[in-house]
Amino acid sequence: MSDSSNMIEIRNLHKSYGDIEVIKGVDLNVKQGEVVVILGPSGSGKSTVLRCINRLEEITSGTIVVDGFDLYAKETDINYVRSEAGMVFQQFNLFPHLSVLQNITIGLIKVRKMDKAEADKIALSLLDKVGLPDKATAYPDQLSGGQKQRVAIARSLAMNPKVILFDEPTSALDPELVGEVLDVMKNLADEGMTMVVVTHEMGFAREVADRVIFIADGVIQEEAAPDEFFSNPKHPRLKDFLGKL
Amino acid sequence: MAFQFKPAVMVETLPLLTEGIELTIYITLLGLVFGFMIGTVAGLGRLSQNKFNRSISSIYIEIIRGTPMIVQALFLYFGVPLATGVRINPITAGIITIAVNSGAYIAEIVRGAVQSIDKGQFEAGRSIGLTRRQTMISIIWPQAFRRMIPPLGNQFIISLKDTSLLTVIGVAELTRSGQEIVAVNFRSFEVYLTVAIVYLCMTLSIAKALRWYEKKLMARSHR
Repeated sequence: MSDSSNMIEIRNLHKSYGDIEVIKGVDLNVKQGEVVVILGPSGSGKSTVLRCINRLEEITSGTIVVDGFDLYAKETDINYVRSEAGMVFQQFNLFPHLSVLQNITIGLIKVRKMDKAEADKIALSLLDKVGLPDKATAYPDQLSGGQKQRVAIARSLAMNPKVILFDEPTSALDPELVGEVLDVMKNLADEGMTMVVVTHEMGFAREVADRVIFIADGVIQEEAAPDEFFSNPKHPRLKDFLGKL
Repeated sequence: MAFQFKPAVMVETLPLLTEGIELTIYITLLGLVFGFMIGTVAGLGRLSQNKFNRSISSIYIEIIRGTPMIVQALFLYFGVPLATGVRINPITAGIITIAVNSGAYIAEIVRGAVQSIDKGQFEAGRSIGLTRRQTMISIIWPQAFRRMIPPLGNQFIISLKDTSLLTVIGVAELTRSGQEIVAVNFRSFEVYLTVAIVYLCMTLSIAKALRWYEKKLMARSHR
């Protein structure tokens, strides 16, 4: 039943907060190298699904398998799986008391037990990759939102993850800073990174996604390649959603 | 007979207070060092996922906050030896009292500071694979500690002044030294004024030192 080309397998995911069920049975496979964009109205549960894939939320029922590890099984080393699945947050969540370089190396040093010199080397090459080679010694407070988010992407890349989860990565940015972050994400997609992206950036979905998913009311309402998804929406909720944009 | 203020008495009094001042500083320092340790453990205990740890910490904090320190000192020095048969000297009892008392307030400071750190910091730490413990030590604590400094300064000042209550168990600290001088010369105005000024100098020093420390930490994080 398990397909080894799947990086992520979600089966019949349910999640409730108290009496309120926010995820009502989601099934989703993400193949290695695939870019999946999740769209949906706010409060639809799309971010919750994403957070479950990194076990930042406890699920009510169902299974989530990431790279062959059942996330919610007792024997799974959740810290290990988390380090393999990077997460980029809407609010960046950089560590303000650490320099940009330290933000990127802390995982390598504490989790991967790498020595500092080697970790610094990796961090500097990643800063180069996200276009911030001169910011190593800066502190998060000294960066713009777009720069912060690029550092956050570098921080998650440092762990050499098998998949990166993006939770509305550009929603907290000034409009003129969105592009620089999306460019970095596009490059990652081109390099074959497996990505799951919750976003409102339709342009990104259209251009970069292999598959677009529409979640509303806690279930996947529609799922298609971007061309089909945008030109020929079938579900009335999706038509309504796209009509409002 | 009209009261006549004699500044000279104050000048004479100050050197007589030296030992009292030293003892006050000694008790305050040791009391606060242990108080900070107790407070950190109890404060993190209240945030623990373990229900037992949470209850123990809460009970400790409520009991200490809900009873006067003077009663705590009397109980520890006079009461506990009757039950245990172990006598402790007044200075040790004083240090324990300050530690246990300040610990309860520091616990609340620690808890508040840790809870004030954005949840996203914890999630970001966990998302790169840090354990709960590593996230706490490397991510949350350094940020929380910075926020603790102003309320901690407040507590340090309170604890310093609270050492004066230890006169009731016969600790020869600053206030007690003043009382002993007054018993001899009856110049309570000049002597207690001197004592008050000495306390003020000490509390102002604490405030100043902490402000300096806070600035230093700030400077480090912003360049």
